[in-house]
This record gives sequence, C-alpha cells and structure tokens, in this order.
Amino acid sequence: MANLWQKFTKYDGNGWWNLPHSASNDPNPPHENPIGGSWLSNIIRTVTHGGVSHAGPGFYWLVGLFLAIITLLEVWLFGVEGLGGWYIPILLGLSALKFVGVVAFFMHLRFDHRMFTYVFASSMIVGILIFSILLFLLEFGHQPPN
Amino acid sequence: MTTKALTFPRLFPRPKADTGIWSWIGTVDHKRIGTLYGITAFIWFIVGGLEALLIRAQLASAESTLIGPEAFNQLFTMHGTTMVFLVIMPLSAAFFNWLIPLQIGARDVAFPRLNALSFWIFLFGSLIINASFLTGNAPNGGWFGYAPNSGATFNPGLGMTYWVVGLNILGVASIAAGLNFIVTILNMRAPGMGMFKIPIFTWMTLITSVLIVLAMPILAVAGIQLQTDRVYGTHFFNSLGGGDPVMWQHIFWLFGHPEVYILILPAMGIVSEVLPTFARKPLFGYPFVVLAGAAIAFMGWFVWSHHMFTVGLGPAVNTAFAVSTMLIAVPTGVKIFNWLGTLWGGNIRLNTPMLFSISFIAMFTIGGLSGVMHASPPTDSQQQDTYFVVAHFHYVLVGGALLGIFSGIYFWWPKFTGYFLNEKLGIANWALMMIGFNFTFAPMHWLGMDGMPRRIYTYAENMGWEGSNLAASIGGLILGLGILVFIINVFYSRMKKVMAGNDPWDGRTLEWATTSPPPVHDFDEIPQVKYRDDFWFQKYPETISEYYHDEHDQAVPSGAQIDGDDAEANAELPVVTGSADDHGDEHGHGGIHLPDMSYYPFILAFGLAIFGVAFVTDGLVLFAGAPFFIWGLLGWSMEPVND
Amino acid sequence: MTQAVTTQHHEPVENTSTGLNSRKLLMWAFLGSDVMFFGAFIATYLVYRGKSLVGPYPDEILNIPVTSVSTFVLLMSSLAMVLGLHYVKEGNRGKATLWILMVVVLGAVFMGFQFVEFREFAHEGLTPRTNIFGTTFFILTGIHGAHVTIGVIWMAFLAYSSHTGKLRPDNALDLEIAGLYWHFVDIVWIVIFTVIYLISATDGAPAGVERVIHG
Repeated sequence: MANLWQKFTKYDGNGWWNLPHSASNDPNPPHENPIGGSWLSNIIRTVTHGGVSHAGPGFYWLVGLFLAIITLLEVWLFGVEGLGGWYIPILLGLSALKFVGVVAFFMHLRFDHRMFTYVFASSMIVGILIFSILLFLLEFGHQPPN
Repeated sequence: MTTKALTFPRLFPRPKADTGIWSWIGTVDHKRIGTLYGITAFIWFIVGGLEALLIRAQLASAESTLIGPEAFNQLFTMHGTTMVFLVIMPLSAAFFNWLIPLQIGARDVAFPRLNALSFWIFLFGSLIINASFLTGNAPNGGWFGYAPNSGATFNPGLGMTYWVVGLNILGVASIAAGLNFIVTILNMRAPGMGMFKIPIFTWMTLITSVLIVLAMPILAVAGIQLQTDRVYGTHFFNSLGGGDPVMWQHIFWLFGHPEVYILILPAMGIVSEVLPTFARKPLFGYPFVVLAGAAIAFMGWFVWSHHMFTVGLGPAVNTAFAVSTMLIAVPTGVKIFNWLGTLWGGNIRLNTPMLFSISFIAMFTIGGLSGVMHASPPTDSQQQDTYFVVAHFHYVLVGGALLGIFSGIYFWWPKFTGYFLNEKLGIANWALMMIGFNFTFAPMHWLGMDGMPRRIYTYAENMGWEGSNLAASIGGLILGLGILVFIINVFYSRMKKVMAGNDPWDGRTLEWATTSPPPVHDFDEIPQVKYRDDFWFQKYPETISEYYHDEHDQAVPSGAQIDGDDAEANAELPVVTGSADDHGDEHGHGGIHLPDMSYYPFILAFGLAIFGVAFVTDGLVLFAGAPFFIWGLLGWSMEPVND
Repeated sequence: MTQAVTTQHHEPVENTSTGLNSRKLLMWAFLGSDVMFFGAFIATYLVYRGKSLVGPYPDEILNIPVTSVSTFVLLMSSLAMVLGLHYVKEGNRGKATLWILMVVVLGAVFMGFQFVEFREFAHEGLTPRTNIFGTTFFILTGIHGAHVTIGVIWMAFLAYSSHTGKLRPDNALDLEIAGLYWHFVDIVWIVIFTVIYLISATDGAPAGVERVIHG
C-alpha cells in the first residue's frame, strides 16, 4: 500500500497505471499453449486465456454455431408462455452473451492488445450507465402527460 | 507497404505550394490548421461579441424598443450557439492542433488529412449556421433548443432547421478531431514519454477529446430527432403523437453537461502550464491534477438532470442529482488547490499570461461556487431561468474558459509567431477585460436574485433593475474595448516584431525545445524523454535530485540514470537517427518524412456541407453534393496510406 | 490445427508509443463513439415503448419469423467476415475473395429484408408519422440500415481489391478495420433484435387507450 502511494505521488509517475510501451509487453502472450491436449481443452484455453494459436476457421465456425443456437433459443423463447417477469431478463442476458461472443472472438478483442478493450469498454460502460439511469428515472420519476 | 500511388484520375496534381491560398486549402500541417482554427474562431468571437453587445444595448434601459422581441430571440440564441460551438471549442482546438504534436515530440498528428477535414467541416458548418441570418430568420430557440418551442408547430421558420443541421455538421468535425487527438496522444509520444510524463495540457486534451467523442454523438441523436420532427413530421417530442418534450431536455443535457467540461478542461490545461512556468516550480501534485480532470470528466456524465430540477422529476431524482452535482465540486476544488500549491513559495513573475491565469483561478472559483449554490434543488427553483444562472455560467465560461484561452494566447504567441505580444498593451487588455467582465456579470447575480428572468427582451420601469442593467451594459462595452486592445496588440506586435527566441519564458515542456516558430517538421531530431518536464531538466540537471527519488526514497544524485519502472522501457527505445529514407517508419518518427498535402479533405468537406444545405433547402441538392463527396472520398482512399 | 495457421501475432509491431496501429485504434475509438450514438437511439425507443396513442401497435405488425431469418443472415455475415480475414492473412486469395463476397451478399440480403419489411409496414399503415412506435422504430432501424449500406459498399470495394490481388497478407489490416465496423453493425442489430422485436413484439395499446382495428 505504501509502495502504491509512493508510486502514485512520486514525481516520476511511471507506475501501474502506465500504458504499455509496445506489443512486446502484451499481457496476452501469443503462444501460451503449445500443441497438446484435446481439441476441447484447446478451445477452452483459447476462450479463457486468450491464446491465439488455435483461433482458426474451426474455432470461428464454432463461435458462429454458438451464436446461431442462441438466436434459435431466443426465437424459441418468444413462443414459450409462462416465463412472466423472467422473459425480458433472460432475453437481455442471451443477447449480451451474443454481443460478447462477437466482440471477444470475431472482433478479436480476446486475442488483441488490452488497449482496444479499454477503449471500447470505457465507452460501453459510460453508455450503459447513463442510459440505464435515464430509463430508470423516466420509469420511476416522471410520468409524461398522456 | 505500398510505395507507389495507385493511379486515379486527378483533375489537378497533388498540391505542393508553400505559399498562397492553395497552400492553405491543401495543407495538412497541424500548425497551419491550428492557425486556421484560431483565426476562424476569433472572427466568430467578434461576431458573437457584437451580438452580445446588441443584447446589452437592448437591455440597458427599461422598456427599450431598440431591437424588439423577434431579433432579441435570434440574437441570444446565436450568441450562445456561436460562443459555445464556434468560439470556445474551436479556440481550444486551435491550441490542440498547435501544441499537442509539439508537446509530445511528434512531427504531426496521427491523421493529418483527417485533421484538415475536421477544420473544413467546422468552417462550412459554422457558415451554414450563420447563413440563417441571410434568410432573415436566424435560430431563435435558445442555444439548448428546448422542444416543443423548437419544433415545427411553434417555430415554423427555417431558423431552427439551420441550427440543427449546422450543429450536426459541427458534431462530425468535433468527433473527427477528438478521435484524431486521442490516437495522437496515445500513439505519437516521443520515445520514453510515458503517459504520466506527458504535459498536463496534453492530458487535459486527451480527456476533453474522450468527452467530445462520447458526447457529440448524443447531440447528433438529439439533432436528428428534432430534424425529423421538424421536417418529416415524426413524434419524438410531440406529445400529441405520444412523444415527450422532456426527452429533448434529457438527451440535450446528456450531451450538454459533458459539453460544459469540454469547454473548461482545455483552459484548465492551459492554466496548469502557465502557472508552473511563471512560478518556476513544477505543477503541484501532477497525478492529482490529472486524476481530478479524469474524475470531473467521468462524474460529468451523471449530473445532467441538475439542469432540469424544476421540470418535476420528483424529489428522489432531484436529490440524487443534487448529490452528484455537489460531489463534482470536489475534484474541481482539488485542481484549484493544486494551482494555489503551485504558486505557493514560487518565484513568481507577474506578466500578462500569468495575470490572466491568476484571474482565471479567482473568477472560475466565483463561478464554481455559484454553481454549487444551484446544485441544491430548493435554491435552484428560485434561480432557474433567472440572471443568476446567466451570471454563473458567464463567470465559468468567460471568467474561466476565455481567460484561460487568453492566457494561452499570450503565453504561446512567441512560439506560434517568433515574436512577443506587447506587454503594456497586454496588461491594458487584461485590465479592461477584468473590469469590463466583472461590471457586466457581477450585477447579474443580484438581478437574478431579484427575480429578473433570462431571455426576456425588456422589463418594466418600476422593477428597480435599471441601474444594474445599465452597469452591465457599460461593462459589456469595456469588455469589448479590452478585446479591441487585444486586436490592436496583435497588429502592433506584428509591426514591431520584438523577437522572442526559442525559449522566452524559461519553459518546461518540449514545445520550447524547438525554434520559434517551429519548422515544418517541428523537431530536427525527435527528443528522447526521460523525465516529466523533460526540457526543464535538460536545462537544469542539478534540480533533478530535488524531485526524483529512488526506490528507497533517497534523492537521486544529479545527472544519474533513473532506474526502476522505466529502465526496461528505456532499454528498448529505438535509436533515432535523422536518416531521410527510413522506410520502416510509418509516422516519420525516424527519418523526416512529412505527410504530403492533399485537396481531398477540402473537397470532401465541401460535399458534406452541400449535403447539409440539402436538409435546409431541398432534397434534390443532395445530388449536387454527391459528386464532391464521392470525388473526395475516392481520391482520399486512393492516396497512399503512408502519407 | 496446424501451428502455422495463426492469426494475430504475425502483425509487425508498429513504431508507435503503444506499439498499436493508429488506424485500428482510431476505428475502435470511433466504435466507442458509435456506441453512444446507437445507445441514445435505443434508449429513446425504450423510453417511448408502449406509449403509442394510435395503432398499428407492435403486436399487430411485427413479424418475428421473418426478422429472425434476417437476423440470422446478418449474424452469418459476421462469420463470413472473420473467415475472409483469416484467409486474407493466410494469403489464400480465392477463399478470401469468396468469403468477403459472401459478406457483401449476406449484407445485401439483410438490406433487402429491411426494404421489404419497411414497405410491408407502410402498406399496413405504419409510417414514421403514424405513432411514436413508428417514429422510434423507423428512425432507429433506418439509421442502422444506413450503417449496413455503408458497410456493404465498403466490403464490395474490398472484395474487388481481394479479387484483383491488391488485398494481401501485408495489408490485411484494411480488411480487419472494415471488419471491426461490420461486426459492430452486427452487434448493434443483436441488441435491436432483442429490444425492438423479441421484447416489444407483444406490446399492444397502452392502458386506457382504445384499440382501433385497421382495415
């Protein structure tokens, strides 16, 4: 903690908040898993560790299949009755899953430099926060004249 | 890398001229673009100032019939719109353009042609907004254009349509410029310059650019919605069709409050450069100033409803926004105390830039405090739409943003031109502005407390407001006189040319390391950076030990190599040489490779402007703009990427 | 799974402070900006959801099966996009051209679906002027459609340059940046499909407003 404070207040502030200098400092080392293990464990490692060595066409097809299945599930849920208040949260969750799938794997954010994630995520966070607050206060604060 | 240009039929060859009008139209040099921004914005500043003087002339006496209500509405709308979008934002952009590459030790911005495009779009957008005067029906719905008053039902003329279209065009320019500066600051820093070694003005530019990039799209959405309501009969803000005028206020202020920080943060950055230079001390608490700026920018998103306390959002909403608004005073206060700490114990030189900067602190604090006053909903319901609010935001925007910008003009003029602005005229300029400014806006505080509403073209004789209003009008004239002295100063100094040399103020940041004015390529050799305020420590290496400590908090011996965090980074710095044909170098960091000039930004912006005109006149005009737009786009994309 | 077939780390480290390509960073920052743009439109739609005073209401007019197909088409165009990029980086010109062309075709099919949908709605009496649902629906999906159109034109140019051999592994970044834009348009549609179609498709007249059946 004291060290953190020192880094923060030190005149030469080149500490933990500093942006990486080059891709060689990439927090996601490109070849982190050598060949080995089953295809499934390779894919799991690609997803969880962001290694790129196995993100080939097969992986993209798999992600595409996954997205298609979720879409089918969404359309199927549309016809299911009796979900009640769960319908909207479930659908929002599923679309968030698809959203993350495309952004992380098709747009390569999972494999890419973290900087791009920071740039995109910061605007997503600001956007989601302010528009949620807007919806919230219009829902509970103010009733438009009908 | 593609080394050979793809062939594309060109009507004229790639521009090469160094002088004359074509050299300006085809320019991609950040310094020239900065000059263009500065001159254009200053012309609009004079226009907006004259509008303000007309407003003050009308209000100087009770029941005046000098201008009349119609023209008065147009004047205050255009005054606000001009000052916010056509003056303070582009004046800040002028400083961004001039200084950012110099301060981070780069040869240009990351996307020179995009930079030129931003300027030309800004120029055409500002012309479109002001062209509304020619139709005799200027925008008259206030700079915030509240629905339904700005809708087609209550405002059938073309004025507000010009306003919406013009603002959307300006938004494109701002977003393009904002994206450009984000990438420039992240990607174009000199070797060794970590993010916490960049000058504070560069930090504030980065934060402002992020705000611009995230806030301007919301204005674009508001504009598109109002435009479709006005022209195509949609119902966004039409309660008869199920819409809600309050939504306009929400969307506009979702943009509008970050916009306030877009206006003030660059000026804060300027002041944070001027104070350390003339106090001959490093900025007190640099990381805190940076993080306070970031905190202001982040919290600025969650306070927008304080513009709407009297709308009737309910006590819970009002309380929440009151709290968040008061909280934002904390990081602002941090900055003010950091500036005071910078001055404390400093070896202070009181010259024109310093006077402007110190006045900035005082005036901005007054404006900030009146802001905290109407952060409280009960107080605000008394002050809403009165002159108290007018006093508040003029203290923040004139006493804050504008004084900061003037400070920057006097500070960096020697760097821009090579010669000083006259000091005596400068002090006269400062004194007249300060007297005039306080005479104009201080009385508005008690006028507002006394209940005088904003945006009324006249008032009754027996209200007791005449004396204060007359004082404000006279103050406005004095303020105008101060600006006149500035203009005289510019021409006088240009005639006298008291040469300044490269580093007239004993500066701290990299822009003082190059010549004044800088060469086209900015730096003969890209500087290698080791410290914050690197240029200062190059000049005074004996002071390094005062500020740098090693891991065990021991003072570093003078001139010793700094170890620790950036030892690794230093180790892998490329050796920079001045070889002219370094092909592996895309951005001219090594060999002096400058981007070639291009006409296409101008052509593309011209096409876009005609599209804008189509929205206020006739859809068929789109076909007139399309050739220019497509020509600009194709020509641009066929130019080699490396340039 | 051949080790040689890798995607990212063959990119040269750029000579910039962060080591990242400036144009790619610009595109990501622009997408961040576009998030706010679409965010404001989607928020407007949600605020006005279920506030139409006259019909047609969403439950009378939205056609979930048809839109599901067009959603699927756009989703698959994203897959084609990422495969096209992969083969460009691999230097496989034939396959790359094929997949980029597939993006163009699928994008055009999506635009066709939207055109037919808009015409159908207008035929059934829903225009941007009819009610607040029409206003918010048409402007939001129309702006998204404009984004798709720009993307299709961009992709068509890239398919052509892939065909003529100008798009090579060393300038695959041109395609990657266009691809980022394309995927972004896709994820916006993912949100729109959920919010406008699946969630709102059962919205009828608000309480207290009498439903008028349109002929």
